[in-house]
Amino acid sequence: MPLLRPRRLSDRQQQLAAISLFSLLDSAQLRIVDHLLHERHYTAGEVIFDAGEEGQGIYLVLQGEVGIFRPGEPPLRLNSVATGGFFGELSLLGDAPRVAQARAIKDCRLGVISRADFTGLLDTHAHIASRISLQLARHLGGLLRQSAMAARPQP
Amino acid sequence: MMPRRYRSGPLVWLSIIGGTSLLLFLLQKVLWLVVPALLALLIYYLLLPAVRRLILAGMTIENAVTLVSLLAFVVIGVGLLVFFPSLAARVGNWEDWLGRYLDGGLTFMVDALRQLEGQLSFLAHAHVADNARAAITEFASTFITRHLGDALMTVAAWTPSLLLAPFLAFFFLRDGPRFKKFLIRAVPNAYFERTLKLLDEVDRTARLYFQGLLKLTVLDALCLALGLWLLGISAPLLLGVLTAVLAWVPYIGSVLGCALVVLVVATDFPGQTELAYGAISLFILVRLLDDFIFMPLTIGRSLRMHPLLTVLMIFVGGAVAGVTGLMLALPLLGVMMVLGEAVGQIVNDPRLRARHRHACRLLNQRIRADLR
Repeated sequence: MPLLRPRRLSDRQQQLAAISLFSLLDSAQLRIVDHLLHERHYTAGEVIFDAGEEGQGIYLVLQGEVGIFRPGEPPLRLNSVATGGFFGELSLLGDAPRVAQARAIKDCRLGVISRADFTGLLDTHAHIASRISLQLARHLGGLLRQSAMAARPQP
Repeated sequence: MMPRRYRSGPLVWLSIIGGTSLLLFLLQKVLWLVVPALLALLIYYLLLPAVRRLILAGMTIENAVTLVSLLAFVVIGVGLLVFFPSLAARVGNWEDWLGRYLDGGLTFMVDALRQLEGQLSFLAHAHVADNARAAITEFASTFITRHLGDALMTVAAWTPSLLLAPFLAFFFLRDGPRFKKFLIRAVPNAYFERTLKLLDEVDRTARLYFQGLLKLTVLDALCLALGLWLLGISAPLLLGVLTAVLAWVPYIGSVLGCALVVLVVATDFPGQTELAYGAISLFILVRLLDDFIFMPLTIGRSLRMHPLLTVLMIFVGGAVAGVTGLMLALPLLGVMMVLGEAVGQIVNDPRLRARHRHACRLLNQRIRADLR
């Protein structure tokens, strides 16, 4: 058995590579992330987390679609995250409660990295941390641009 | 709906204390498994940082664990090869060695009592020194003839069980993350995040406790070894390590460690009572350092318990499960506190229960969709 990992990526690792958060990681780094992943299955309509809850993980959409809703009657759909996207990062970064509800729109297969594993990964592996941080910054920049465009008055 | 912040009530706390006591009672019945499992946890948390480093460097978990375990075996093997011959040479014939040290300790104690008799006449009238010598000599002779064989048989019976420790530690390291994922897979989606937090908290508590215990042992051993070396006592490092390990048993361990060093001092330096008193003073000093500086810096940080509860639980542990209870009371209470609070949170959260029922309903509808 070779001392270092074999080079071929598994199907799930290939799916991870397609997620924007990890698109800058090489195969060895993807295997490290894969090692931390919990896989969960949700039925369409099922609540993944509620607004106000303490966030314990970042969610990666391996398959399916998830809606992000603002609480209220009726709940307002803010965004949807399809295969290859991720959500739940805000409460992890800000150490704050969830700001919105996440609910499966289609049947979903999600990968989850726990808060402890995610922060441990960033604390102990500088290369992975810098690459994930860059992608997170780009993602948050995109969200900011979207909300700025939405707030701009129409001519 | 914003969830209310949950705080444990008296019922949860009673359950935590009751559950800890019950566990202590049950665990003492399977000591043959508990002791190696505890040692395995110590080894696990000692080697875990190295394994994590290698995994982050790109190695598979299997290779990282194998490599670190092999290195640990080599280090222990080399240590035994270096220290065992010198220890064996020092000990020589163990029976003579044991008798010599017991005799040295007895002489020291009788001399100390005679000095007291010189100052307090009622002790002299009661012949305390002679009576103590006679009682201890009789006890020692009957102990050696009656119980030493049993004690050696117990040690022999325990050896295979203790050899389980490195074996268990290897599998904890290799399959620990897999086992955690396996456990979490069984949890319904509604409780998933709470369970993640619970397992992380249990892991964090146990890790900080055992790593704290190891740091505390190193600090104790170094302080004692330095003090014994300054006093000019032979084998200070060996005595320091032995007494620091004995201190894992609260109260009794420290007294035993102190008695061990006094035996060595009284035998190796007969007639120099001031040296034995110096060793006792050193133990009291290290005990104080331990309680007020080292313990809060190492183990105290991990458990975040009220001091009254800590002392109470140690006494309850001792009453329920003897020496085992003394040793296990605090780590078990730490884990039970985390479990109790998490279960309390889940049971008292109607939203989580409603979400679980909703998820079951959705799944049932999906399963029965084509049966209508």
